[in-house]
Amino acid sequence: MSRGSISITGVGKEFGTATVLDGVDLSIEGGSFVTLLGPSGCGKTTLLRLIAGFLDPSRGSIAIDGARMQGVPPRRRPLGMVFQNLALFPHLDVFENVAYGMRIRGTAATEIASRVSRFLGLVGLAGFERRRIGQLSGGQKQRVALARSLALEPAILLLDEPLSALDLQLRRQLQVELKSIQRQLATTFVFVTHDQEEATMLSDTIVVMDGGHVQQIGTPGEIYRRPASPFVARFVGDINMMDGRIETVDALSVSVSVAGRAISVPRASVVGTASAGHACQLACRPESVRLGGAQADALSIEARVTALHRLGPTVKAVLDTPLGPLTALAMADTPHVAELAEGKTARLFVPSDTFTLFAST
Amino acid sequence: MRGATSAPRGLGWLLLPALLVLALFLGSVALLLFHAFWNKDGFSLIYFRQILDRPDYHDVFLRTVSIAAIVAVAAAVLAYPIAWLLWRLPRWRNLLLVIVLVPWLVSLVVRTYGWLVILGPKGFLNETLKWAGVIQSPLPLIFNDLGVVIGLTHVLMPFSVIATLSVLLQIDNRLEEASESLGAGGFETWRRLVLPLSLPGVFTGLGITFLTSMGAIVTPILLGGIRQKMAGTQIYQEVVYNFNMSKASAWAICLLLLSGLGLAFLRAVEAALVPKADR
Repeated sequence: MSRGSISITGVGKEFGTATVLDGVDLSIEGGSFVTLLGPSGCGKTTLLRLIAGFLDPSRGSIAIDGARMQGVPPRRRPLGMVFQNLALFPHLDVFENVAYGMRIRGTAATEIASRVSRFLGLVGLAGFERRRIGQLSGGQKQRVALARSLALEPAILLLDEPLSALDLQLRRQLQVELKSIQRQLATTFVFVTHDQEEATMLSDTIVVMDGGHVQQIGTPGEIYRRPASPFVARFVGDINMMDGRIETVDALSVSVSVAGRAISVPRASVVGTASAGHACQLACRPESVRLGGAQADALSIEARVTALHRLGPTVKAVLDTPLGPLTALAMADTPHVAELAEGKTARLFVPSDTFTLFAST
Repeated sequence: MRGATSAPRGLGWLLLPALLVLALFLGSVALLLFHAFWNKDGFSLIYFRQILDRPDYHDVFLRTVSIAAIVAVAAAVLAYPIAWLLWRLPRWRNLLLVIVLVPWLVSLVVRTYGWLVILGPKGFLNETLKWAGVIQSPLPLIFNDLGVVIGLTHVLMPFSVIATLSVLLQIDNRLEEASESLGAGGFETWRRLVLPLSLPGVFTGLGITFLTSMGAIVTPILLGGIRQKMAGTQIYQEVVYNFNMSKASAWAICLLLLSGLGLAFLRAVEAALVPKADR
């Protein structure tokens, strides 16, 4: 087992009568980049604070590298934390902020100096030692906060939406750097965010949370391609959702009727237990909705273009179809797409195996 | 922004009370300067010479500054734990704050007489100690500088509590969590984080209590020794008993300058101790 593994078993947390977390089981591998993703109020920050030790779980247990953390105060846990508002010490300069933890441990002055300069170098702030916190830009403060918590070389770094206050461009840049720093140090990063793009871009593993429960754990690819619930499907990326009814179920496929049309979906695309006669939801990603270019084993329908939006190299088309409104995403310079115009009709294809069928529970 | 600066028309007369107060204040200051620097022969420093040439008056100045400094420090030291407690116990904060401030609802004279009852030669404390056999003759706790220090510290301590508390309340509790996550225990967090961040409040309290003590009159009259005057009582005596406005004015100006010097010294110490916190 590599350093910095976390194992969370049956953890629940109540504040008064409100249940914020319930039955959370999660095992985080040492050295991985894990994101807790979910809308505000889903319990992701509470889970992070439980790992940090600022809160005690109402039920269940948390172990770090096999050691139970029950009753262990935050300062004795092998982890660092980057706070949402960064919480830099305003009365200290950059050097002393980064040196803070080492001063408390009584590290020798020469060792402190060399470590501070190493970690400031790592976050790209060499030469900023004597700056005051108030003189730094948002991105620089971010880097100081990162260096401060990394300087103690914790096995685990917890990050509570640290990039949320930054503008988009700086955010993208810091995401790239954060990921590369994590790879260099092989520290376990547990990152909380409500931004699914950020989660997808950074993580080895995404933990999607909602309503105090873990909805799905998987790689960004798995979560995107095989969402475990309609909630995950909607939360991670754009998706078309259609209400339907399961007509027949056989060994290889399930037949669904949506707005009076029969659509056949392979059994492998079904989430849950499909049984005939039950209501269900049929989902497909906008990029699976192909405009033109006949395809075998695909749903094929006539649609009218109601709106076209150009997004960089791609085009997003909003289509009026017999199944209801659908959104399609395609590269703008492909032949069929270039001919599209608002008000025109087009034939579209959705390959059967790109559907996800959520059988109602 | 425009709306905030442009006053509605026709309401200029609302400024009258403020102008009246300002006129009275400036008038008094002018009168003070006139009394201090003018005698029947015109401009003169005679009244200042009358004060500065008397060694016994030097003692009064020295005593005033020393007592004010001791009171300021004592109030700050005693107030800090109270302010810290109020900060740490948000549930009890309002109740405790009322308890801290309740003495202010009682008149200064009554409060000061309260100390006579407790600290006097036949007061509660001395009688108790005598009864317990700790002392034979009463301790001189009152009618001397010690009595003045005790009385002033009691009266002024709430200022220090409030000044310190207001700064403590501005400290983001995420800062403490950050300190804790970096390995600091409660005391280390206080020493390295809370104390430096709360010092500006402590210094504000020192300034308020120092300046107020410098001008104290009632407490030194009631609790001080007969011959151990402070600047405030000296001025009071010149005005009320000697009707010497000129000398009283000169005293007041000396006191003002001395207070200014004291405050400047305090600011210098603060600047040396507290690096400008960036907020």
